[in-house]
Amino acid sequence: MVNSEQPNGKNENATRRSASQWAVAWRRFKKHKSGLFGLGMIVILVFIAVFHSFIAPYPPGSLDPLYEGEAGQPPSWKHPFGTTIGGSDVYSELIHGSVWTLYVAIIATVIAMLITMVVGISSGYLGGYIDDILMRITEVFLVFPSLLLILVFSRIYQLMNPEPFWKFLGISIPVNLTTIVLIVALFAWAGNARVIRGEVMALKEKEFIQAAKSLGASSRWIMLRHILPNVLPQTIVIATLTMASAVLIEAVVSFLGFGDINTNTWGRMMEESFQYMSTTWWAEVFPGLAVFLTVLAFNLVGDGISDALNPRLRE
Amino acid sequence: MSMNLLEIENLKTYFFTEAGVVKALDGVTFNVEKGCTIGLVGESGSGKSVTAQSVLRIVPRPGRIVGGKILFNGEDILAKKESEMRSYRGKKISLIFQDPTSSLNPVFTIGNQLSDIVMQHNRVKKDEAAEAVVKALKLVKLPDPEEALTRYPHQFSGGMKQRICIARALLLNPDLLFADEPTTNLDVTIQAQIIALLVDLQKNIGLTLVMITHDMGIVTQMCKCVVVLYAGKVMEIGSIEKIFEMPHPYTEALLKAVPRLDQTRKLISIPGNIPNLIEPPSGCRFHPRCQYAVERCKEEVPPLQDVGGGHMISCHRWRELNGG
Amino acid sequence: METLLQVKDLVKYYPVYSRGIVTKKVVGNVHAVDHITFEVKKGETVGLVGESGCGKTTTGKLILNLEKATSGSVLFDGFDVFKTFRKGSKEEKSRLRRSMQMVFQNPYASLDPRMTVFDIISEPFKIHRHLPKEEWGEQVYKLLDMVGLEPYHAERYPHEFSGGQRQRICIARAIAVNPKFIVADEPVSSLDVSIRAQILNLMLDLQKRLGISYLYISHDLSSVRQISHRVIVMYLGEIVESAPTEKHFEHPLHPYTRALISAVPIPDPAKKMDIILLPGEVPSPINPPSGCRFHPRCQYATPKCSSEKPALIEIDRDHFVSCHYAFNFL
Repeated sequence: MVNSEQPNGKNENATRRSASQWAVAWRRFKKHKSGLFGLGMIVILVFIAVFHSFIAPYPPGSLDPLYEGEAGQPPSWKHPFGTTIGGSDVYSELIHGSVWTLYVAIIATVIAMLITMVVGISSGYLGGYIDDILMRITEVFLVFPSLLLILVFSRIYQLMNPEPFWKFLGISIPVNLTTIVLIVALFAWAGNARVIRGEVMALKEKEFIQAAKSLGASSRWIMLRHILPNVLPQTIVIATLTMASAVLIEAVVSFLGFGDINTNTWGRMMEESFQYMSTTWWAEVFPGLAVFLTVLAFNLVGDGISDALNPRLRE
Repeated sequence: MSMNLLEIENLKTYFFTEAGVVKALDGVTFNVEKGCTIGLVGESGSGKSVTAQSVLRIVPRPGRIVGGKILFNGEDILAKKESEMRSYRGKKISLIFQDPTSSLNPVFTIGNQLSDIVMQHNRVKKDEAAEAVVKALKLVKLPDPEEALTRYPHQFSGGMKQRICIARALLLNPDLLFADEPTTNLDVTIQAQIIALLVDLQKNIGLTLVMITHDMGIVTQMCKCVVVLYAGKVMEIGSIEKIFEMPHPYTEALLKAVPRLDQTRKLISIPGNIPNLIEPPSGCRFHPRCQYAVERCKEEVPPLQDVGGGHMISCHRWRELNGG
Repeated sequence: METLLQVKDLVKYYPVYSRGIVTKKVVGNVHAVDHITFEVKKGETVGLVGESGCGKTTTGKLILNLEKATSGSVLFDGFDVFKTFRKGSKEEKSRLRRSMQMVFQNPYASLDPRMTVFDIISEPFKIHRHLPKEEWGEQVYKLLDMVGLEPYHAERYPHEFSGGQRQRICIARAIAVNPKFIVADEPVSSLDVSIRAQILNLMLDLQKRLGISYLYISHDLSSVRQISHRVIVMYLGEIVESAPTEKHFEHPLHPYTRALISAVPIPDPAKKMDIILLPGEVPSPINPPSGCRFHPRCQYATPKCSSEKPALIEIDRDHFVSCHYAFNFL
């Protein structure tokens, strides 16, 4: 029986290295200008947050400008973003605040995405009554007015007067801010879980899932080895967008006066300077700008990744 | 030759993609005689659908017609303005697609979407348009054509939907009809019905039909004349009898590789894969897979030559292989 | 020849629900597979033919227990398949899984796009762990060679392959566990004509070398003739005819089979077709016609056909037909 034909007529490609889909996506992302711009901003933000104590001229919460008689000063060489009425250096506070911004973005997103993935994948893949139950719960979270609930819960918790900080492995964690982050996370997963569930349901019908089943793979194996890697791109896009919205929601909550008074987040800075806006506008505008740029950066990156993974949507 | 309804000369349609220029059609030449059914045969990527799109000038982006001539009734289609072209589509040249389900709009009734076409091209009243639609539906032997007007596409089966699509293509009495794999998505028995219908229509209303397909069987049973495409080039043009008698090496290989219902035999498969059209093989495009290929086939593009009786062949070795 | 697979009275109904706000009510059944019985012998290929919706793919999935059957049984090599998957030991289940495999219709969807070919073909080893880890690599390269692929292909991703090559990868994955039986569900119908012969020949070659039995599911009668020893025709969930290949194509008895065979265009100008055009379309499997399910489209139908269901009986040696008047066509 003739069966020795080479399926590849020529062997010219024998040495070419094969690119994984991630490498292909990264190549495409590198061509995406606004995505790269966003990524650049996030890299800068992370750099600032990591080295905040070296970059900032004043330590966090420092009132040195007050003692130097420079409270409420407009931007100058010494104080690039001016000083507040209360006498702190806006530039330094912004740099220290970047740590909280990232803290909020990362913790809220990690928790929200964990719930998203567990609910989305098990609901989509297992189906049946598990799907029914999980989706009813999801709908409950979707229909609640989340911002209102976040405000109410954080206020109730603050009224219980907890310790301002927890010590965890030598790091002090702001309790109120963490509570807000957790509540934000709790209300950020439902919509995303539905998106992932939809993706999973489409994947489940693909023949490679059937093939894995006929090879004897268990549901757990299929969910971890086949479904998860295939929804990962989508997940990364969603995660980036969730980071943006987490930063925004924390800023809103703090701005409305429900924030953690023990941490100087950008939203808190805006809240504190709001009543003096007519005199010290810089203390209001610069934190606002920081929130705006951060949210923009995350959204641009999310957009870029999404385009890089779905090339057909472009053009 | 004035009998030709359509003359395509050295047609080149390229797709300018991110990965490179895909030369989907690279110098395609053939004629379609009036009132005749010709088969346009080829595998995926041979350019058979792009040919139809090029004639209608509806090549999707990033594709573009970059050269050649298309004469329809002696008039150069490529020189026409887009507005003139619009009156050609449907009225003079029409197209049926492979998938009847996705080529009907699911939110409108059959009556609505078909009479819209009539009203757009001919300034007629609604009931006149509906009358024309019923006439066309009768032509394709759709049961209960009046009743069908008020129904939605999903209420019909695949075969019935394809009948409706054919009726739509015939609404404005076109001279030329391209049928792009009209039966590929249908079951065998339904395919037989549609083929019988197309053969009937061709005979009764003198339609000129270009049957685009990959199925040698359908071509053999429906068409007098065949154009065989491979990787954007015409390999062979000729009558069915000639093509079976003294085929081009590609056609020959294809016929040996296709299982036949009427016999059990060893299939001789064609080695290799369909070539990549960004960097197509040099010389004859079939040479990497051709059992007769020699050095010359690699270096020189064989011209499409008349070898007698309207049988055109693009092969360096055909004469020698067929006894001088 | 020894019998490998026995399908007995297999039934699959899909319930049709009318959905209320909370409750679901069954309003009918899709009769996907309706009491079918057949056998596959060792080293044999059985072609399962029919038009879309006749239940041929469902039959394949039921045999592999990828779908739960409504009733009936499948005996495979001494195992009761359904019973084993329900309450057999882990060892038994794994062994049964390894002896039956499936190749799917769409090679573009049946490979995980995020895995390399090596990972795809070695996946069964990872699941079953029936081979020591050191042998996986060697085994993968041996399989690639068997299906006509090169060793360097192992590091590639599926999107870099053509349809025919992907189908080769799918076949390599299926034979990785040394199966005795493969359900091939339209393995060539989404491939280009010039590639189909490659895959069909590969299947024949593997059958010769490894003694695999196939259930070849297809709507393309020409390829069925090429590869099968025996052909079974299904219509609306039921078997209408079952015969050895030669007999099936040269002397078809059931009116439906005859129409089916006549409708296939033959690539030969010397053979003009004589199509038996069937009126109408396949009825809905939710409310299949009474009596013989083919009677509304059959030109020979009599009142008896609409009231009495014909049994599948042996009309000629090894030739089973379900038609009241099959003798008339003999």
